[in-house]
Amino acid sequence: MSAGRVLTVLRKDLQLGPRSPIFLWVLLLPVLITLVLQVAFGDLFDPEPRLGIVDEGASVITAAVAEIDGIELTRLDDADVLRSRVEANDLDAGLVLAAGFDGDVRGGARPPLEFYVGGESLASNRIILAVTAVELIRDVEGRAPPVDVEVVELGEEGLPISVRLVPFITMYALLVAAVFLPSFSLADEREKRTLDALVVTPVKLSEVVTAKGILGFGLAVPMAVVTLWLNSALTARPLALIVVLVVAGVMLVEIGLIYGTASKDITGVFTLIKGTGFILLAPTIFYIFPDWPQWIAKLFPTYWVINPVYEVTINNEGLGTVWVELAIALGVAVLLAVIAMALTARLRTKLATT
Amino acid sequence: MTAAAIEVEDVSFSYGEVEAVKGISFDVAPGEILGFLGPNGAGKSTTIKILTGQLPPKSGRARVLGTDVTTDDPVMQAQIGVCFEEKNLYESMSGRENLRFFASLFGIRDVDTEVLLRRVGLADRAGDRVAKYSKGMRQRLMMARTLVNTPKVLFLDEPTDGLDPVSSQAIRALINQEAERGAAVLLTTHDMHEADELSDRVAFINDGRLHAIDTPENLKLEHGKRSVKVRIRDGERVTEQTVSLEDAAAGEELKAAVSAAGLMTIHTEEATLESIFIEMTGRGLEG
Repeated sequence: MSAGRVLTVLRKDLQLGPRSPIFLWVLLLPVLITLVLQVAFGDLFDPEPRLGIVDEGASVITAAVAEIDGIELTRLDDADVLRSRVEANDLDAGLVLAAGFDGDVRGGARPPLEFYVGGESLASNRIILAVTAVELIRDVEGRAPPVDVEVVELGEEGLPISVRLVPFITMYALLVAAVFLPSFSLADEREKRTLDALVVTPVKLSEVVTAKGILGFGLAVPMAVVTLWLNSALTARPLALIVVLVVAGVMLVEIGLIYGTASKDITGVFTLIKGTGFILLAPTIFYIFPDWPQWIAKLFPTYWVINPVYEVTINNEGLGTVWVELAIALGVAVLLAVIAMALTARLRTKLATT
Repeated sequence: MTAAAIEVEDVSFSYGEVEAVKGISFDVAPGEILGFLGPNGAGKSTTIKILTGQLPPKSGRARVLGTDVTTDDPVMQAQIGVCFEEKNLYESMSGRENLRFFASLFGIRDVDTEVLLRRVGLADRAGDRVAKYSKGMRQRLMMARTLVNTPKVLFLDEPTDGLDPVSSQAIRALINQEAERGAAVLLTTHDMHEADELSDRVAFINDGRLHAIDTPENLKLEHGKRSVKVRIRDGERVTEQTVSLEDAAAGEELKAAVSAAGLMTIHTEEATLESIFIEMTGRGLEG
């Protein structure tokens, strides 16, 4: 196999890529799916409440707000600036804490407090910020609330649906790039008989197939990273993430090459994808429905690549936790590589005899 | 003596139970055009697929430029050019991009696409996508693609099939130029006039067997029936007389006919490759 010839074919595929609807599909679909699912189930377009504080005396309230997840804090030095930014809807609300405010509160002096609320801010954000401010002042005062609040959690404890969807969306991004792109590209060349023209040059069919695989892999891994980033699921363990995505990319690209070499045309690839797509996506459904028997997910080959992705991104685990699954995934990948090579050899004969 | 560029010795091939090529042997010298004449399904394209390394022969040996075709040798592949009957170009690429890409597959980085495109009359459409080309333009681009590596051996599978006379003539001129350059050309066709006009030798193939291989002139001399058709006016009537030049008394018959008072026209009637093919194989070339 010649790396130079593989690169030549790859360059051609990259050159033709932007002219192909499938290529654009690969780039856009994960983004669109993320947007649709996160809008429907997640909090992608729910803005965090934005609170501005002018703190003239190092109040513990400012420090407490900074610790709260879900409130965007902006510290300012000037009350007039704060007021104009709230008016301009740059902030939902603003709080001016005068010097000695905490001491006055503790001493029962009832100091004045200016709390600005933007006229265009969301009502929900105003309520959150007002209640939070009152609660924090009560803490400074050291007084107990007038009632005992009993918090009752309803629904099952677990990850929010927006997080449980991440494996599904990530797998979709991987599938579109690693499976659809190489398989459609190969089938398209076979259907238009351009493969026949390639195999009578010094290029070998195995080199053409390899170039298609590299194309799919080269797009699958970055698109998976982009998808995870869009879903706020990028991990603090980048090396582990790259390793699990590389293994996932390799396995799925091999499935794509099997589809491409086994199909005589694009319709054939569509038929294969329609028939087997569920099997490839099935493991991700078990994350969405955690009360289903989870052992069933392990029966599907793609479980062994998507679970490491889930563990590394959502549970922030390292390679030490997922190495067994990665080893199984690599075993499956070797088996798939053997099948892809056999189908490539068969394709060469089929090209000449049809 | 110049070594043959293509050597085929007793080659056979079967598609399952169907024998497509049955023990054929021939060779093609550098600079020679061998016309491979036969109807559809005769075994022409299968022979090309064997010689270009796409199909392994079931038996026999075939060599191109001294290399066994079963070795899948990139060095040999780099010296051949194949023009398919099917227009398998990249339609979303321009003509120029198609040529550049195929040149790069042969390791050629500095191909002068403009010269090639000018040779096939496509210089002014070089930047247009192939999807916008007519059938004739696509076929001419196919020929340009075949020549992109200046091949020593050309395999041309029905290169003028279904083309208008102007495009056909342009492609025939190219084939002659390539042969003059020294390329060995194996040209499959079922167009007897094309084969007659272009080929140094023609081979008749039918049902996988090679029935004859020789120059068109020798085939006509050996297998054709030569005759002269004489038309004579006799009062209001016009009579037509055919004098066979194969007969011993042909000279006397012809002299009598020419001396006739009402002689109108004399036509020599030469055998055609098609008539010889039909005589030898029992079927026509279009079937």
